[in-house]
Amino acid sequence: MFQLKYSHLSMTLVSGLLAFYSNSVSAAEAKESAQEPLELRQQIERLQQDYQSQIDALKKRLDEGHSSSVTNSSQQSSSLRIGLSGLFAAGGSSVDNATLANLQAGGHDPKQNGFTLQNVELSIAGTVDNYLDAQANLIYLMNPKGETIMELEEAFFTTRNLPGGLQIKGGQYYTEFGRQNKQHPHTWGFVDQPVILSRFFGGDGLRSQGARVSWLMPTDTYSELTLGMQNPKGETVTSFLNAAGEDIGGYTLTDRRARNSSDLLYSARWLSGIDLSDNLSMNVGISGLWGPNASGLTTDTEILGADLYLKWQSAYSQKGYPFVAWHSEFLQRRYEAGDVAREVLKDQGYFTQVLWGFKPGWVAGLRWEDAKADGNTSTDTLRDNRQRLSPNLTWYTSEYSKVRLQYNRDWAEHLPNKTADSVWLQVEFSLGSHMAHTF
Amino acid sequence: MKITYKHFLWLLSFTIMSGSLHAALKVETTTQDLAAIAKAVGGEHIHVHSLTPGTRDPHFAAAKPSMIRKVYSADLLVVVGADMEIGWLPPLLQSARNSRVQPGNSGYLDLSEAVPLLGKIQGPVSRDMGDVHAKGNPHYWLDPRNGIRMANAIALRLGQLDPEHVTEYQKNVELFEKTLNTKLQGWKKTLQHLKGKPVIAYHRSFIYLAEAFGFRIVDEVEPKPGITPSAASLAKLITRIKNEQIDLLIMEPYYERRSARYLKEKTGLHIAVIPQSVGAQEGITTYVDLFDNIVSALKVRGVN
Repeated sequence: MFQLKYSHLSMTLVSGLLAFYSNSVSAAEAKESAQEPLELRQQIERLQQDYQSQIDALKKRLDEGHSSSVTNSSQQSSSLRIGLSGLFAAGGSSVDNATLANLQAGGHDPKQNGFTLQNVELSIAGTVDNYLDAQANLIYLMNPKGETIMELEEAFFTTRNLPGGLQIKGGQYYTEFGRQNKQHPHTWGFVDQPVILSRFFGGDGLRSQGARVSWLMPTDTYSELTLGMQNPKGETVTSFLNAAGEDIGGYTLTDRRARNSSDLLYSARWLSGIDLSDNLSMNVGISGLWGPNASGLTTDTEILGADLYLKWQSAYSQKGYPFVAWHSEFLQRRYEAGDVAREVLKDQGYFTQVLWGFKPGWVAGLRWEDAKADGNTSTDTLRDNRQRLSPNLTWYTSEYSKVRLQYNRDWAEHLPNKTADSVWLQVEFSLGSHMAHTF
Repeated sequence: MKITYKHFLWLLSFTIMSGSLHAALKVETTTQDLAAIAKAVGGEHIHVHSLTPGTRDPHFAAAKPSMIRKVYSADLLVVVGADMEIGWLPPLLQSARNSRVQPGNSGYLDLSEAVPLLGKIQGPVSRDMGDVHAKGNPHYWLDPRNGIRMANAIALRLGQLDPEHVTEYQKNVELFEKTLNTKLQGWKKTLQHLKGKPVIAYHRSFIYLAEAFGFRIVDEVEPKPGITPSAASLAKLITRIKNEQIDLLIMEPYYERRSARYLKEKTGLHIAVIPQSVGAQEGITTYVDLFDNIVSALKVRGVN
């Protein structure tokens, strides 16, 4: 039944899109070829000639206004944007490297005493043609063994011209779930990934191959609905068909394959944006994920989330400062485990963080996190009761580099002493194209 | 549901309303200066809205979701160009899914192509030089003569997009040009005392204003564009101010005042806080208002 419903939904979506597109094209053609009475047509032509002469007059005025020194080339800013950003950390913790690796579960988190190369990202983006924009992000990082790992983090296209406020994205990309999952490490407000995201989406965030359609709704304020389908298999789809041999809640994962459309990862997100005043803006979002998991042959996972983002910026701001940004996300997961003796694992958690840009280039941050799960999970590093408090201070030396100092206080049941203290110093540089200012 | 007469009337009025909304061109601009000029040219035939307020530095805006909605429904997007909006316009255009206003199409108007840009960098450009714009300095709206060029470029584009009202656009732009030319004579007269005078600016953003009114900007408070002054760079500047007897420092309202006050304390030079944009201060709603206020800020020195 489920299977029927989903494939039906996707069919309707695609055929609806096609119909919409062809309708708008044929309507335009019909308009052109409509036969008007000859007289009317002549009148229109005369009118058009009138307009043309007036427009020519305007053109002439513009040319006269030009001094002869105007030689600005009309070239658009280069069609290809290429950038490389490097993120490095150094620091230490009250616990040893083995324990630290479990505590800092994010793939780009600093997770060893000493130096960590967190992330070197090569990003290439541009407009393909009249129909598509495209972007690829390649990641280089070094694991604690000193091996260089290269990942094709993202490679996707987005459409430019679909009617009705629709946009399709396809390829390998970060799933639009919540606010943080889509963000790349160098745009984070903290040196590490929130605990609950590492637990549900693994070290590298939730990303996979697939396609999604998003609809900018015809409302006065910003409101966007996104529906997507992605492959559920691999290390970057942790709560679903994660790599065989991995372990979730004591259940060893099998090599389950996605066999039909009901075995895909389905995602939905609604995001709304409201300007509460000239200086205060709000984003509210809800997201959902549904797909199979590899703890059994018939087991499914559901993840739901809600996120809130509020940003205040002073009316008279210099370089965007001062500002206060408050970002919170709440997530919960329902994980059906095992085929024979089925158990439902329930996990939840949230993080809430405030960034205060108190003077140009300087940002103070504070993050509080809480994650827990049902059952006796005290020895499971990814399901135990866990809290973390992280104050930090960042100095953006320019638009292209930053230095950040962060302290983490961890409370985790699985730790021998139940607590851990860590201090991290982070440096970022970026080369190449001007990076986007994040909202 | 039974369709009643009332429903019908409601539907009719809704249709008429949406029809009349469609009649006016929707123009989005990246700054309030561009919006003010577009309003002067387009009059009642366009709806104009600025994506950023004049109180803020437009270079450092971020693409807010509400902007996506605005750009999505725009018929014309007018930008400063010359990399002024590079940090936020490309991602905004990618999310806005409106092909009319994509660069190269008729709904995208880059006004930096309508004016002679100053401060183009000859030779290699390095980020070590600070926040420089290789294509030229983007603060060109601060020369009233460029305002006239911008108005003409907007009028031409509006005429092409909406030929029905081309006569009015032409009339409006002629009036705008005439008013501004008359005003300019007066402004120049008021600021005659500045002619040829050396002036310090906080940021490299007043070269067009200097060009228009004939004063010379000899140095900036920022050691390099966008770089916060240090004690050493301020000390160097103090020596220069004393040696060359520089009397005036001009700056935008949104920059920190501490460095300026320090320089004033040490050298006695005057500080003029200049509204750099329409909307930067209360009461500045038109392009003419902007220069009225700039001129009076430059005229009455030593207020701070």
